Amino acid sequence: MNEVIEPNLGETLVFWICGGLAVVGALGMVISRKAVHSALWIALTMINLAILYVANSAPFLGMVQVVVYTGAVMMLFLFVLMVVGVDSSDSLIETIKGQRVAALLLGVGLTIMLVAGLGAGLSGAGTIGLDAANAADGGNVQGLARLMFSDYIIAFQATGALLITAAVGAMVLTHREYWQPRKSQRELSQDRFTDGGHPGNKPSPGVYARHNAVDTPALLPDGSTSAISIPAPLRARDDARAIDVNDITNVRRLTEGESE
Amino acid sequence: MNTGTFNPPEIDYLAIAPILIIFGTAVLSVLVEAFVGRTARRPVQLVLVIGSLLVALYFVISQAGTRTITANGALVIDGPALVLWGALLVLSLLGAMLMAERTLDPSGDVFAARAAALPGSEDERQFTQRGWVQTEVWPLFLFSVSGMLMFVAANDLLLMFVALEVMSLPLYLLAGMARRRRLLSQESALKYFLLGAFSSAFFLYGASLLYGFSGTVSLPGIAEAISAKPSQGPLLILGMALLVVGLLFKVGAVPFHQWTPDVYQGAPSAVTGFMAATVKIAAFGALLRVMYVAFGGIRWDWEPMLWVIAILTMFVGSIVALVQTDIKRMLAYSSIAQSGFIMLGVIAASAEGLSASLFYLIAYGFGTIGAFAVISMVRQSGGEATSLSAWAGLGRTSPVIGAVFAVFMLSLAGIPLTSGFVAKFGVFAAAIESGDTWLVIAAVVASIIAAFFYVRVIVLMYFSAPAKEPAVVAVPSAFTTIALAAGVTVTVVLGIIPQPLLELVANADVFLR
Repeated sequence: MNEVIEPNLGETLVFWICGGLAVVGALGMVISRKAVHSALWIALTMINLAILYVANSAPFLGMVQVVVYTGAVMMLFLFVLMVVGVDSSDSLIETIKGQRVAALLLGVGLTIMLVAGLGAGLSGAGTIGLDAANAADGGNVQGLARLMFSDYIIAFQATGALLITAAVGAMVLTHREYWQPRKSQRELSQDRFTDGGHPGNKPSPGVYARHNAVDTPALLPDGSTSAISIPAPLRARDDARAIDVNDITNVRRLTEGESE
Repeated sequence: MNTGTFNPPEIDYLAIAPILIIFGTAVLSVLVEAFVGRTARRPVQLVLVIGSLLVALYFVISQAGTRTITANGALVIDGPALVLWGALLVLSLLGAMLMAERTLDPSGDVFAARAAALPGSEDERQFTQRGWVQTEVWPLFLFSVSGMLMFVAANDLLLMFVALEVMSLPLYLLAGMARRRRLLSQESALKYFLLGAFSSAFFLYGASLLYGFSGTVSLPGIAEAISAKPSQGPLLILGMALLVVGLLFKVGAVPFHQWTPDVYQGAPSAVTGFMAATVKIAAFGALLRVMYVAFGGIRWDWEPMLWVIAILTMFVGSIVALVQTDIKRMLAYSSIAQSGFIMLGVIAASAEGLSASLFYLIAYGFGTIGAFAVISMVRQSGGEATSLSAWAGLGRTSPVIGAVFAVFMLSLAGIPLTSGFVAKFGVFAAAIESGDTWLVIAAVVASIIAAFFYVRVIVLMYFSAPAKEPAVVAVPSAFTTIALAAGVTVTVVLGIIPQPLLELVANADVFLR
């Protein structure tokens, strides 16, 4: 049995501060209604856990926690949230009646059981610390490496299967394939000019003294209306406003009459 | 200080060859996805999958006498592990046959043409029309099988956890890729994933508490720590309870069974059959190993806990199955009830209990995979006819399929001359021998309730007038036919001449520590 190490004051202080902040972060993550806030709270928890790891002579684990979890995974998570939409929040409607109360009671019960059990199990147990384990292989990283490539080599290799599964699964669920070949820039350009395509800007809708709206067609020089000046959806819905010929003659008569 | 010296672990590559073969082929089959043309992929994948399962099975049989602990104590190859490996490989082979079926559904195989296409979209219609197939299911399938093989042979909690995830992750994906009723399928996959991740967290929490108690994650190491510390601390009990929660989730024991009916119903029937048979075997294999090897010394502490769970599981499964109107949901509750019966073998905590559980798992696996093969064949215009009312009169319109399904139902109910009877008799006898008489009485009552709903299906098939829109039995290709024939043959043969398998499992009744 290794000798028992008494924690000094600094270590105790670090534990209570970082441990407390980690718990606050975890609670904040669960209580927050917005996903972004939850993500930031859990980042707080992770950073505090990293500090605790370093304080417990596991610097490698602490660094990995910061670089991989807080740095890469959490930020990726935030990116995804930003893409999906920051505003989306969970529905708080209970679908099963009494579910929340029951979950709360059971959760509190489990917490009491775990805290009481851990308290009873750990009180009186001394601290061993990692110093002896770290010294055995000449350092923290060396010790981890030895374990990873000896006792846990199979588990280490098997995590590769997890990563491949994750990659294949993500591709299967999200990769959109096209069932027809995608058009190249050249084909798109050709399509625009052939088959009665309209290469330039389409005429803008008509703007008159009485009507000034997108559903009013533009007038051509011969007095007829131009159908393509109206957006296609309006045309499809037959929502284009008809031009009353009387209006045109009225306007002409009024303007010519005034000039006389 | 031994800086600079490193003793590489000694790995018995021949002993763990089945794992390596399946694992290697899975990686190879990912490469096939990348480099083989679209039309050639399916045949190449099928050759790889079926070939690798057969080769792995050959290695299991050829070294049936191997008893070794390898890779610095991480993997243990002993009698139970080899029996479970054999069962898992054969049942995976049958599962692969069901998944390869493509004549039952007029629009293609059992999986969505493209899982990424939105359900009901123009893209989906076009992919289906063009007959595209999602061949990525095969590498996922193989990874899942390799995880199962590792799971039942893992001798430390860390490897057991990684194997649990390797086994489960592909299944979460496969459950969400049904060709028909895709929203139901995707919902089931999400539920399975969330609840599975939740239970994994319990497993890890338990493992870390056990590490705190014993200073090791190896199962024999935990057993040593238990015998070295006579006054068991709360750390041990809490750790064990949380660890077992994680395992009981995979087994589908009450109250950790909530995912079962939804996933069984939503997943494609081929995947459901594969998963129902093999995951139960793998999870019980690991549960037996943990309980017998690590916690064998404190069986008085965990037996009451498992007593309660076994009784709850048997009764909730049997009673809720009575009121189901969907055949897949009914079989899901039936699988919950069966978990309760198998737990009698775990609670017995004896060599007889272990071998009886192994026999039960094998009998259950073949019966279940066969039953789901039948379900995938009974169809209506909109796909599989899972509503029980559509099955009315099926025994008269399709006598062969009706009779085959009746055999599976009788076997699950535990009627003599089927494998289910021998299996139930085995676990009941083992439990009585260990002094759990009251538990066996409860189990007998539960199996009488369970028999009622199994027999109800038979009555419905033979003695009811056909439904207004009766289900039709589609003609399957050789794939489903082989799986179905294997399922029904094993079920009947094990019921009439169980002796060879009973001897096999009796020779495999000790875990190597």
